[in-house]
Amino acid sequence: MKTPAVRVLYIDDEENNLQAFKASFRRQYEIYTAISAAEGLKILQNVDIQVIIADQKMPNTTGVEFFKSITQTYPDPIRILLTGYTDIEALADAINHGDIYRYITKPWNDLELHNSIKNAYDAYRSKIDLRNKMAELEKTNDELNRFIYSISHELRAPLVSVIGIVNLVKMEGLYHSSGDYWELIETCSSKLDYYIQKTLQYYKNNKNVAEPTVVDFDQLIKDLIEMYAHSNKETQFTVSIDQSVPFKGDLFRIEVILGNLISNAIKYQKVSEPNKKVNIEVEVNREQAQINISDNGMGILNEHLEKIFTQFFKSKVHHGSGLGLFIVKEALNRIDGRIAVSSDIDHGTTFKITIPNAK
Amino acid sequence: MQSRPKKLMLIDDNEIDLKINAKLINLANLFQEIIICRSGEEALDFLNKYLSTPELLPDFILLDIQMPEMDGFEFLEHYKDFPEKRPVAMLSSTLDFGDIKRAEANPYVIKLLKKPLSPSELEVLISR
Repeated sequence: MKTPAVRVLYIDDEENNLQAFKASFRRQYEIYTAISAAEGLKILQNVDIQVIIADQKMPNTTGVEFFKSITQTYPDPIRILLTGYTDIEALADAINHGDIYRYITKPWNDLELHNSIKNAYDAYRSKIDLRNKMAELEKTNDELNRFIYSISHELRAPLVSVIGIVNLVKMEGLYHSSGDYWELIETCSSKLDYYIQKTLQYYKNNKNVAEPTVVDFDQLIKDLIEMYAHSNKETQFTVSIDQSVPFKGDLFRIEVILGNLISNAIKYQKVSEPNKKVNIEVEVNREQAQINISDNGMGILNEHLEKIFTQFFKSKVHHGSGLGLFIVKEALNRIDGRIAVSSDIDHGTTFKITIPNAK
Repeated sequence: MQSRPKKLMLIDDNEIDLKINAKLINLANLFQEIIICRSGEEALDFLNKYLSTPELLPDFILLDIQMPEMDGFEFLEHYKDFPEKRPVAMLSSTLDFGDIKRAEANPYVIKLLKKPLSPSELEVLISR
């Protein structure tokens, strides 16, 4: 396979060197030569050069000065410096400021220079490949996020219509008119809606961390209890909030974290328990917020404790989406929070969360 | 019973949702009459047509967000110049915080109601 010609620019104030270079390498590479830094710049402006070789000792502009001057405007071509004598200072300067890939002493050895150009071109390719891959990945990731977002929206609209129809059936007193069919439709629709909402939460969690905003835990917990206890009025909530200092944080993620935990505490109650209880304690200081959420629900089996935060883990008996606690964990990771859980089958479950105060 | 507001304008491009919501509102007996508009343009035409006969204008507007061509927010842009303004509630299946904030930041919108429409929630709103 014929490889595409590598475009090499050689800048030197001695015409003889330029001629010799051309004579040695014109078969292997596409060669451009320039008699001064200014001439070299003109070529860079017109040709997509991949490797630049510049002589250090030139009148007006030295090789290093030239490389320095193009670090911003032409960052991609790989630079090789040719020096006629060993000038340590020039070399140090070149490596520190000129982004030089290699230096070669004059008079050059054809094989050494040839190998250097080949290696420089490989370095060039890797650099460009990596950048293209990054751009591609970012684009794919972006598309995926947008896809999830719009699918969740498009899926949800007709689903919400179905739930609306069920509400209408209830209002017209037809809910029990066809055995339990309407009830089944309602259960399935709510489940699907729950999955879609979790998918959306997960999508939003993937986005960047928002600017910290003021979080009033008293209000937030009240709102969340109202939202999730809506369908279950049996559970007794005991809430104690100790917040004497302001707390700043990522309100959306904190809402997602606490919302999922509170909803779980309500959902996973023991059916037989007459006094269903959820206890929420919040303690805020200048450094962090410590939140404990405990219930006297069905508890989590010891062997499941390790797995509850993994994606799509669900217990056999009581299936949720397998996403709730996974999202909690992911959201906490994003805001440097921590979570610990203790549970037993007899007494219920306690989650302890710590979230740093952004102040 | 307190005198209920007479006319509701329902703006939504979705035929099924129009049907469901009109029926829900009728069953809950919240309005005497429902004016149905299938697009923001149709609603604006209606409002402009009856500008000189305010008794024919709606007392309350329920506005969907996602609609083709003129969406709910664009409708509000035009509504801004309408001289006989009545309270507007937006109605959407959106869960997007951006949409919710944007809706409630609009001076003519009193609330964003989530689909499915809850008649009791709407009742609280109109009795304010």
